[in-house]
Amino acid sequence: MQELALESAINSIRVRFGSQALTRAAEMPPPHPWPSGSPVDRLTGIGGLPRGRLSLFTGSGTCGKLTLALSLLARATHEFAHSVVIDGGGFDPWSLLPFSPELGALTVVRAPALEIAGEAAATLARAGAGFLLLMSDVPEHWLGPLESAANRSGTVAVGVVDAPNRALAHASSFSLGFSHTEWIYERDLLVGLRLSARCVKNRVAPPLGETELEIRYPLGSRTVADFTPGVTQPSLWVPRAEGMEGVEPCASAVV
Amino acid sequence: MRVCCGLTSHLELARRPDLYGRPVIIGHWDEHVVAASEETLPFGVTPGMALRQAEHLCPQATFVLPDEEAVVRIRELIASALYDLAPVVEVRDEGVAWLDLSGVVRPGESIRETRRRLLQAIGREPRLGLAPGPFSARLAAARARPGRLMQVRDAGEFLSPLSYRELPLDVEQLERLDLLGLRTLGAVAAIGPRELESQLGRDGRHAVLLARGLEPDELAPWRPPLYTSGHRQFGDPVEDREALLFVARALCGDLAGELGLRGAGAKHVRVRLLFESADEEKKESLVRHPLSSQAELFGLISAWIKEWRPSAPITELWIELPVLEGAGRRQLRLWAGGDGSSEEVTAAMERLQERFGEEVVHRPMPALVSSPIPTERFA
Repeated sequence: MQELALESAINSIRVRFGSQALTRAAEMPPPHPWPSGSPVDRLTGIGGLPRGRLSLFTGSGTCGKLTLALSLLARATHEFAHSVVIDGGGFDPWSLLPFSPELGALTVVRAPALEIAGEAAATLARAGAGFLLLMSDVPEHWLGPLESAANRSGTVAVGVVDAPNRALAHASSFSLGFSHTEWIYERDLLVGLRLSARCVKNRVAPPLGETELEIRYPLGSRTVADFTPGVTQPSLWVPRAEGMEGVEPCASAVV
Repeated sequence: MRVCCGLTSHLELARRPDLYGRPVIIGHWDEHVVAASEETLPFGVTPGMALRQAEHLCPQATFVLPDEEAVVRIRELIASALYDLAPVVEVRDEGVAWLDLSGVVRPGESIRETRRRLLQAIGREPRLGLAPGPFSARLAAARARPGRLMQVRDAGEFLSPLSYRELPLDVEQLERLDLLGLRTLGAVAAIGPRELESQLGRDGRHAVLLARGLEPDELAPWRPPLYTSGHRQFGDPVEDREALLFVARALCGDLAGELGLRGAGAKHVRVRLLFESADEEKKESLVRHPLSSQAELFGLISAWIKEWRPSAPITELWIELPVLEGAGRRQLRLWAGGDGSSEEVTAAMERLQERFGEEVVHRPMPALVSSPIPTERFA
């Protein structure tokens, strides 16, 4: 009797809001991966960031999550027609330049209010933007529309937050926690950052994995030409050891 | 020119499909018969005769008052349904639909689809004729069985044995033709246009050209109106936002279907909420790129509805698209680069700018990238 009532409720929701409004977990298609070319691909377990799902990079300040997210964004600008940054304040395109982005494909949405950030994210995901970088919190009531819109359009949505609230953490399908391991000094100069990235939630493949990364800061003076889009720069982050089995010791660093 | 004619009953009769199969006469009291169903023909009822006379001839008929507005709506419905089947479409109140199939790659498919759509719109199988022009196509259709096509290759040969009464002349002119002994279209065709013009005036010349199959008349192409709208009236006033969104989504779907049929996009969108007190609230916006899909329309309208605070329960929802323009240049999802349609994303960004201001969305372009002042680095 209860099953019949449940079936009837499911059917009425589907009739009212469309067949996609409610889907059984068993009927959900597996997410397609977007290979980012970074060690994160191995941590997801499907060979890339899940398309149509929300991925979260979390961790306290100066742990490298934004640097990794920017490298993904730069790559996305070469692969998608539209890569969008939902900026709650603080995004400087200048910080993206070392990753050689295709600026023509990049759009920044300045969202002074969380409500605007939520609506912009859901609207652009619904319209089919290829990559969304959320640098702002998203109000809880916009997470549902964002999830369903991204699911339909296959948008790769990546959120970068220090500590996600419960709703955001629940809405994410893949969550990576970053922690600062140590600073790297050479000849008494700060040249980089060593960090560890750990998969703390994975709804697209069996968890968990961990990797260590090194981020090397650019050294010396740079000319204007270095900042011109299209000029290839060496990657700023270097995976030191990667794998699903656990942390491996770091060896030498590469610039 | 190859013209297909779909012949159905008069559109006044199409208003009342429940009366199909029964004798029906349409007309105002003390005036003339506007239309009469086929079932009244054996009793001698013809359009144009006095209604009193028609009642005398066929007293068992159902008499219905004409409704011009309803007929116009049905005519527009049929014309828009046939619009994408041929470059030129003309529909008349008498239940005649012409399609100029010149240049159509697969005329057979257009004809089959014409039959299907007319059947759907009118509820009766149309008679179909295919001939070099509208006049001969209509006469051919009149001689076809319901749901069948009569094809005419040589209009002159086909028209020759037909009665002179098929010509679009008034009663007096037809009587004069009878007096002249011109009782078939072949006989009319044999006479010189100027000679008949001297007898009947310009109509005489026109009649000769028609009888010869020269088809002097051009079709008057139907053009979709540059305005469209959809609305829903609620039985009980609605206070539920979800219900409003649900109805708005359905309306957007209907409008998108109509726009797609016309190859048009909405340049201006207006939403009106009507209340029991006859007051109304409205929101409207011009859009830079015309919106044509349900997702685009609903994307804009749902954002309005979600933040709308109506002052009273809603009795009626109107979605109006007052300015339409061609959307043929936009081929959504044709050049998708692994993600969604670039056009849709651009349209979504424009909607955000319209709602929250131009500065909300911007594309960073390098300006003085080596400047120590962050705001100067990008335009």
